[in-house]
Amino acid sequence: MITSDPSRRRFLAGLGALGTAGLMSGCVTSTSSSGKGSSGGAVTLQSNLSAPQAKTAMEKLVAAYGRSGKHTASLNTVAAETFRTQLPTYLTSGNPPDVYTWYPGSVADAYASKNLLLDLGDVWRHSPDLAKYSDALKKLCTSRAGKKVFVPTSYYWWGMFYRKSNFAKWGVKEPKTWDDFLGVCDTLKSKGVAPIGNGMGGNTAWIGSGWFDYLDIRINGAAYHRDLLAGRHRFDDPEVRKVFDRWKEALPYFDPDGTAIPFQDATTKLLQGKTGMMLIGTFFADSAPKDALDDIDFFRFPVIDPKVPLAEEAPTDGYFASAHTHRRAPVEDFLAYLATAEAQEIYLKNSSGTALPTHPDAADSGTALVKKGRKLVEGAADVTQFFNRDSSDALQPSADNALTKFLDEPRQLSSVLTAWQRDAEKIWGK
Amino acid sequence: MAVLTATGDRSGSRDASRARRRATRVPPVVLAFVLVPLLAEAFWVFWPALQGFYLSLTSWDGVSAPRFIGLGNFQEMLHDAVFRTALLDTVLWLVLFGGLSAVLGLGAALLLQQERRGVGFYRAALFLPVVFSLVATALVWQALYQPDGVINQILGGVGLGGLRHAWLADRSTALYAVIVPALWRQIGYVMVLYVAGLKGIDPVLYEAAKVDGATRWQQFRNVTLPQLRSVNAVVLSVIVIDSLRSFDVVWSLTRGGPYHSSELLSTYMYSTAFQSLRLGYGSALAVVIFVLAFGVIASYLVRAFKEAD
Repeated sequence: MITSDPSRRRFLAGLGALGTAGLMSGCVTSTSSSGKGSSGGAVTLQSNLSAPQAKTAMEKLVAAYGRSGKHTASLNTVAAETFRTQLPTYLTSGNPPDVYTWYPGSVADAYASKNLLLDLGDVWRHSPDLAKYSDALKKLCTSRAGKKVFVPTSYYWWGMFYRKSNFAKWGVKEPKTWDDFLGVCDTLKSKGVAPIGNGMGGNTAWIGSGWFDYLDIRINGAAYHRDLLAGRHRFDDPEVRKVFDRWKEALPYFDPDGTAIPFQDATTKLLQGKTGMMLIGTFFADSAPKDALDDIDFFRFPVIDPKVPLAEEAPTDGYFASAHTHRRAPVEDFLAYLATAEAQEIYLKNSSGTALPTHPDAADSGTALVKKGRKLVEGAADVTQFFNRDSSDALQPSADNALTKFLDEPRQLSSVLTAWQRDAEKIWGK
Repeated sequence: MAVLTATGDRSGSRDASRARRRATRVPPVVLAFVLVPLLAEAFWVFWPALQGFYLSLTSWDGVSAPRFIGLGNFQEMLHDAVFRTALLDTVLWLVLFGGLSAVLGLGAALLLQQERRGVGFYRAALFLPVVFSLVATALVWQALYQPDGVINQILGGVGLGGLRHAWLADRSTALYAVIVPALWRQIGYVMVLYVAGLKGIDPVLYEAAKVDGATRWQQFRNVTLPQLRSVNAVVLSVIVIDSLRSFDVVWSLTRGGPYHSSELLSTYMYSTAFQSLRLGYGSALAVVIFVLAFGVIASYLVRAFKEAD
């Protein structure tokens, strides 16, 4: 009775065939695949912007592109952590999503050097918008092989954030130099406030890398910093030791709970006035209450060596495309659209609004804070991205371990740096 | 008549032998029902497992082609201080998490095996944590462990403010702070297994023991424990497997930190493979975990079956 049912027999046979075919071709380590997707249809955009506001902004952006352009795009939002771990798989698959949210600089270059990224030279040549972008951005989006592989759309900046009302209450002013800074810390400590907030607990140990980056670019300069992160210097060099010697001067002023709480809790403490100031990127404002936003201000990370040109940390966000895309023309059209002032304004208006557009003519949200931030970055002698973006995501955990251990046991500095170098060599030496 | 019988007999025996032959020949449907799942299993389980073994002999970043390096990954492990920490922590985890959950689970089962009024409530209360996702559990415990969380507030409230701690951020307490939520969940699970085992013991055995004048301890030692042998095998397998694959709770609470102090083999494998993108070394760690789990369970099962014979 069962055997006489042809559809089931066919189903089983089909299943078997499927399994065999899978067995023969299914090799997880194969880097090329033969699957040819359809070349028509919407451009697929894989996005890691899963925070509610950012996700809505992306949806509006994609919808606006569908209305204005010749082509359409479809958005696929993935949780940030999943996106990060899956990105190599996306890029190496035979039928990948077309366009991705990600970072320029060494992170993009790592993929470009393996020929996984679409050459966007035509987009950069023909787009009247991209022609206006700053030279620093053009350099940032060029791979080491000289190809344009990235379209930047927004950036944000890091700074020492504080509440204006609290600084007034405590009677302190924005410090300019390292000594001024330590003086402010002293005053705050005498008033019973933990001067420097920190949020390296939970799952946000990477926040501490901001301190390492800034101290290094203030003491050794941005060029040295980039070389160090690329493996051309050693983490146990005397230059790096100098960074930590400075850090030790500020250590007594750090919030002792800083390695136990995530940055979201740390910024809450800052807004509540339990800590005085905090080195962080503007993204923390996404979750800050609206009434506190007007009270927030920041100052530039204090100058340590006046001879070193002032670089700032301003991570750039944007898009790259897969080299295996089957929709080259629509992808190029979509990326050119993302580079326009109009597209960037749509995104910024609908997201939290603390990011800055890369298009020089695009309007930012216009608040005093954002204007100050734009001036800071535009006046910087050099711009760094952030630890993981200037090196690789793979190197970030080694920094997290080293910096957390340093904060807990500053006397173990030598062994911390030796272990850091050893960990880093395993990553670089692949 | 006799002829008839004889031919009838002969034809009967021929029928029987044909039927026997037919019975030994497996019908194609049955074959399909065996082979198709086997094929699916081969594709989804055995093949990836073999790939994992192969990857453990390579150096692979997930993007370029893997490079064969023989036993290089395993050699590196010998000199890897973090691997040693992770191995020790895993053993500690196996002993503390496994041991305590077995002992406390059995204790809870013994306490709650009798059908009394309200026993169902307590059983449900102990079993309830099992139905929560471990990640959700971890979030709750993370809040409890915060520097200004409930645990520290209680300590301060009862005058033990000196014991206040950043439980998850201190390398001397992180591992133990992570074991507690895992135990909180596992005890209920082990308890249910043991309650089922205890229900299966023939009450006559206890009556006989009582008649012989056995104390409560002797009853437990000589009746309950031997009768629970088959359940013990299940519990041991469950505990060893759960210990070695314990990952979610550690990852969501500490990510193996601060600086590797709560690192288990499983979290080290994950961070090596998917954060440091050293998938070859990560696969080698996975092979070690597999060998450990398989070794412990196989040796126990072999012994258990020998005793049963």
